[in-house]
Amino acid sequence: MVLIRSNPFRFNRMPCRPGRVEPCPERAADAAAAPRTRARCAPRCSKTLFSPPIRVVLLGGGSLSSVPAPLPATHRRAQSTSSCDVTVSGSMKVKVISRSTEEFTRERSQDLQRTFRNYDPALRPQEKAVEYTRALNAAKLDKIFARPFIGAMDGHVDGISCMAKNPNHLKGIFSASMDGDVRLWDLASRRTVCQFPGHQGAVRGLTASTDGDILVSCGTDCTDFVHLSHWQFMHGSMLSGTFQSFGERVFIISCHVIILLNLILSVKDYRAVDHQWNSNLFATAGAQVDIWDHNRSEPVSSFEWGKDTVISVRFNPGEPNLLTTSASDRSITLYDLRMSSPARKLIMKTKTNAIAWNPMEPMNFTAANEDSNCYSYDARKLDEAKCVHQDHVSAVMDIDYSPTGREFVTGSYDRTVRIFPYNGGRSREIYHTKRMQRVFCVKYSCDGTYIISGSDDTNLRLWKAKASEQLGVILPRERKKQEYLDAVKERYKHLPEVKRIVRHRHLPKPIYKAATMRRTMIETERKKEKRRKAHSAPGSITTQPFRKRRIIKEVE
Amino acid sequence: MCKEGGGFITQPVLVSAAAEARNSRRRRRRRRARRRARSQEKEMKPRAAGAPAQLKRKNMGWKKRKMGRDEKKMRWTGPRLPSALRKELDAHKGGAGGSDDGSGSDAEERGDMYEYEEGLPEEDTGKNRRFDPVENLEYELPDDFKDENLPSDEEAGSDADGSDRSEGGGEDEDRHLRMLQGITGMPGQAFQDKRKKETVFTDVNGADGGATDISIQDLLDPLHGMPGYSSLRKKLNQLEKKSSAVQAPLPKVERERLERKVAYEHSKKDMTNWEPLVKRNREAPTIYFEEDKDIGFSTVGAIASEFQPRTEFEKKMALLVGNPEILEAHQKDGSRLLELNKISVEDVKDRQNRLAKMRSLLFRHEMKAKHIKKIKSKTYHRMMKKSKLKATSAEIEMDPEAIREQAMKQEFKRAEERMTLKHKNSSKWAKRIMKRGLNAQDEGSRAAIAEQLQQHALLTRKINSMKDTSSSEDSSDDDEDDDELPDEALSGGASKLLTRAKEKTLKVIEEEDEMPKSGVLSLPFMVRGLKKKNEALLEESRVAIQEYDSSLRQLDNGNKTSTSELCASGGRKVFGATRKETPGNVDKVESDDIGNSSDSEAEFNIEKSAQAGDKESSPIPGAQLHSGLSKKALVENKNAFENFDDINRETGPKTTYDVAIFVSDSFKKIDTKNKVDDTRRNSVTAPEDHSLHQDLAAVHDSDMDSDEEMVDGFLSSGAKLKYELPSQADLVRSAFAGDDVEGEFEKQKMEVLDEEVPEPEKPVLLPGWGEWTNVQQKKGLPKWILNEHEDAKRKREEALKKRKDAHLKHVIISEKIDKKADKLLTKTLPFPFTSKEVFEQSIRMPIGPEYNPAISHSALNRPAVVKRPGTIIKPIQFEEVDPHEKSSDVKQSRQNPKRNKAGGKPGKASFKGKKAKV
Repeated sequence: MVLIRSNPFRFNRMPCRPGRVEPCPERAADAAAAPRTRARCAPRCSKTLFSPPIRVVLLGGGSLSSVPAPLPATHRRAQSTSSCDVTVSGSMKVKVISRSTEEFTRERSQDLQRTFRNYDPALRPQEKAVEYTRALNAAKLDKIFARPFIGAMDGHVDGISCMAKNPNHLKGIFSASMDGDVRLWDLASRRTVCQFPGHQGAVRGLTASTDGDILVSCGTDCTDFVHLSHWQFMHGSMLSGTFQSFGERVFIISCHVIILLNLILSVKDYRAVDHQWNSNLFATAGAQVDIWDHNRSEPVSSFEWGKDTVISVRFNPGEPNLLTTSASDRSITLYDLRMSSPARKLIMKTKTNAIAWNPMEPMNFTAANEDSNCYSYDARKLDEAKCVHQDHVSAVMDIDYSPTGREFVTGSYDRTVRIFPYNGGRSREIYHTKRMQRVFCVKYSCDGTYIISGSDDTNLRLWKAKASEQLGVILPRERKKQEYLDAVKERYKHLPEVKRIVRHRHLPKPIYKAATMRRTMIETERKKEKRRKAHSAPGSITTQPFRKRRIIKEVE
Repeated sequence: MCKEGGGFITQPVLVSAAAEARNSRRRRRRRRARRRARSQEKEMKPRAAGAPAQLKRKNMGWKKRKMGRDEKKMRWTGPRLPSALRKELDAHKGGAGGSDDGSGSDAEERGDMYEYEEGLPEEDTGKNRRFDPVENLEYELPDDFKDENLPSDEEAGSDADGSDRSEGGGEDEDRHLRMLQGITGMPGQAFQDKRKKETVFTDVNGADGGATDISIQDLLDPLHGMPGYSSLRKKLNQLEKKSSAVQAPLPKVERERLERKVAYEHSKKDMTNWEPLVKRNREAPTIYFEEDKDIGFSTVGAIASEFQPRTEFEKKMALLVGNPEILEAHQKDGSRLLELNKISVEDVKDRQNRLAKMRSLLFRHEMKAKHIKKIKSKTYHRMMKKSKLKATSAEIEMDPEAIREQAMKQEFKRAEERMTLKHKNSSKWAKRIMKRGLNAQDEGSRAAIAEQLQQHALLTRKINSMKDTSSSEDSSDDDEDDDELPDEALSGGASKLLTRAKEKTLKVIEEEDEMPKSGVLSLPFMVRGLKKKNEALLEESRVAIQEYDSSLRQLDNGNKTSTSELCASGGRKVFGATRKETPGNVDKVESDDIGNSSDSEAEFNIEKSAQAGDKESSPIPGAQLHSGLSKKALVENKNAFENFDDINRETGPKTTYDVAIFVSDSFKKIDTKNKVDDTRRNSVTAPEDHSLHQDLAAVHDSDMDSDEEMVDGFLSSGAKLKYELPSQADLVRSAFAGDDVEGEFEKQKMEVLDEEVPEPEKPVLLPGWGEWTNVQQKKGLPKWILNEHEDAKRKREEALKKRKDAHLKHVIISEKIDKKADKLLTKTLPFPFTSKEVFEQSIRMPIGPEYNPAISHSALNRPAVVKRPGTIIKPIQFEEVDPHEKSSDVKQSRQNPKRNKAGGKPGKASFKGKKAKV
């Protein structure tokens, strides 16, 4: 019996002549006595079949063919690898390692080679260190690939005052400027698709219906003459005079025809407008809150609570009958359309510039405040904010929730755009460019991947919501890899090194300084409070939590 | 529902019933009604506030029968009445209500009255038919009443019936009236009156609210004119006045506030309905916003079957693929296909030629390589080597990296040389030649040996030149020793050396006696440690001194008795603890002649290095070695050995011996060799000679005696000499001789302290640094340096005293912060985690693809939000969620909750199956 344990491929290449395979008796005996003494027996019968690289074990007797071959650990694990007997001549069996071709053949050349791994943790004692290093590297790579700015869209001749996204069309976004220019943009090509003339003064509010067919704009025209117009996009072939096209693309994108459907003139001053989700109603805010129907020229109903100007209005997308407004008397008011009455008012220490409801959590909304913070409220418990989001150094002008409801974007008077997690006190990201001025409006795209900001410098800017995200088609393997890196980063984000790298941002100098100053001020205040408390009778001074501090009262 | 106040009191029952039904439509309607009611109330109030006195006057002569109708009329014309009259009216009405029963019934009655009042004018205008049913629907709501399970169930039912009759039966009654008129010929008025009366009575029977009012009047009217009537009426009036304090309507602000409150409550409730859904989404490990796009095809084949060629290329392809000839051939058999698949002969030939050419080229290349490998010519290979070397050297010149590599290689070679001594004629061949004698060899082999030696010299010399610092120092040390020791040996001999050693040890002992009074060493544990150490040292030194003395004495004796003997005798090489004797031996060896070979030299070197630390390195002048190996010396060796043995016997019992043992025959060989190449050996071994004598002596000893016996003799003699019963302390000490735990710990602690609070470096004298020239030399170190050093020392002491473990004897509290480890630790517990264990558990298992199989890997790494760019995400839509449901099902897409049902999609399922197999 000859038992050969070697690389099967090498064996295959060997000339296999049966006449020469017979082992010489003395050699066999020698090997049986000391199986590993090849060196000793080799010179004596040097003209054997076997070339030196093959380890040969010769065993006397016929019952030894089933001697198990001790395989290396890696091979032992691979279930597909098995040893089998190969009969070379009639009298002998050769044991070789074989693999089934089905399991190792790729169907296509693009397929991956299958790997078999031993998942025994004892074999990989360094796993934590490895993953930590990966997390660190991923964090660094994220920093390297962080290129959030995609492009600017210029065309307006005055500062952008408001924007509206088309809930039914991903690429379309409407913008309006202080000079009364309303435009529809194509985000993919970053060009104006069409303009909607009509306003003579600043447009203050812009909104589109859920199906994207109707655009509502409102504004204060320079003659204190206010202007609320509907634009309807109808599928047809007629072109009206108000339609202006830029470039040939327009014809492909919008075979819609735009007609000035309804021009409502009133002497009231409108400051904001918002459309209800999935219905015909929209609300305007000004001296009072009016609810309008598409098909009527008079408001369906109107609410008035207090005499101050209402500056922003927002419908709750989840619970469409609820809407909130913020007014110049520093109040946030909740309305219920079904009860046709206001529900509750909250007065804060500073004015709220904009409000956004969380689209995934109909009870929560976030208010962008003049004091450079955002306050997330549960509409059912208005006596304290659920979370205070602070990082801006100047008034927050606009806010919009991501459609996933997990984060929101804010635009601020300090010339930056920030992204906050819905439940986190600090921003996740800050976007700024040298040329971007005061940001007046921000929007999250309907798929939650992009951010659009409109600023005083007459430009709209398109940003990625995740700064280092790879755009375009991503192969499954790439995606998986990215997921893994993100997961590892998430896992080790608390460790100081990773945290430092992830948190680090380059800031414009003024903002950096302002932030430092703000910190100092807050710290000083805190210290003073502490001292005052220490030096007065115990219990006489109570510190309010930060979430309550900016609230004056809740009015029933 | 208290906001209605007293104005409209039937409302509570209704509203509560409606709230249970949760019918918003009805609610709205009711709201409208409520508003109307409120307006009525407003209307009513002035009337109510009017004068009851007037009513009194007016009501005096009224008939019981007419009562209801008149009253109604009055109500309707109310606004036109003067206020006094109205007051009267009100009082009258109120009196009637109050006289009957409690406030509840009173309220109901009033409510009814209002309804009637509003209903009547319509009736009069002829629109009652249209209006009345609505009213009834609004306020009677028979179903609701049933739901409420009011005690007055049947009554309500009957009331409803009655009302039905009154309204629905209106037409019937008309007809009946006409019929009566026709039959009797009487005017219809009489019948009408009767009917009216009847209705009143039905009211009395049915709804107790309206009926009681009238019944009180009824009860009172018959008493009119009777003696106690006026007093009774007064009483009734008073009663009524008390109870009928109608509340003033709430101010608008208040009312609005209440409304807002209600609205807020309602919207709150609506929002709360979302809570389970939101909670589920929040708690889900992953939330999906991907839209399942139904392409309509499940397989690739299905898609392909729908394919229509559009572009020209596609059309061409389709034409070829769809060629009927080929299709037919496919369907039939392969032979036709072969025919179609013609290849020209030239093509085939061409290809074959190309292949052959390639093959031949390859073959030639292979052959060439083989040929080159086979060439046996040395010159050829040398040339090749040279050219290769040239190439490499050129390369090396260019590349600094290569230079370094080369240097490394060289260094390695040298090290190897030193280790193996390959070129030192140690090979078999060289030995054989040496054995035969160099002279017997031909020139070639002689030259080869010379060359080898030269190479060895080259390599070793280069070591010295390369290793400038360490090796040179060593050599210089050796030189010094060499310089010193011979001198001493010449001038004074061993006795002087011994005395010097003794003095030195004494000095050391004295020095060690001094205890530091300040500094770190004054700390209690330090002191203890030092003491212990000192004791051990003292013991040792005492022993050493004793030995010195004894050996000195011996020396004196020896000198007196047999100096000549000693001079000739060879000592025995002894290692380790026997070093005290060596000085004695040294003299004996002096005159000894040395026979050695290059072979044994190495061994001697090793032995020497083992001895290197000893103070007493044996001095031997190289000159003495030149006196050859005299016969006499050999003879006297025996005596010398005896002498030596004596010495050893006299030394203390604690010493142990290592003895060098040599196999006798090897040394004979040495002897013979000595004669052969005496001169060369001298030149080679001169620098190392000082150590040789001992070994040689040993060699000679071994020649004469069997070595093992000797060894035994040494040891046994040492053990047997003096035996005293050891004390308990000694026993304990000897039992735990190996492990001095306390001492070790203290040492460890000292080390830790030194590491954490390092000792300030001693000020070094830097000439010209910080001082004017020469000044420093005179005054020593400048003051500021000393001060600084002192300062540093003091600071260290303070730091040590401040340590937490300063006064803890058995404790080391490390205050060092490991900066490298710091990177891998969080300062505080991260937010969502409640305990350290939980946090550590969360990062315990690896999630990488190397550590997890593919299936679980993707599940482990799934992000919290899965969305696809380009998919519009719609706001949340309401769906019922079971709050107790487990969160495992949450995985399904929020965008299209139907996914579960559509889960059995063929494409997906098959894909998953495949994966699972993997």
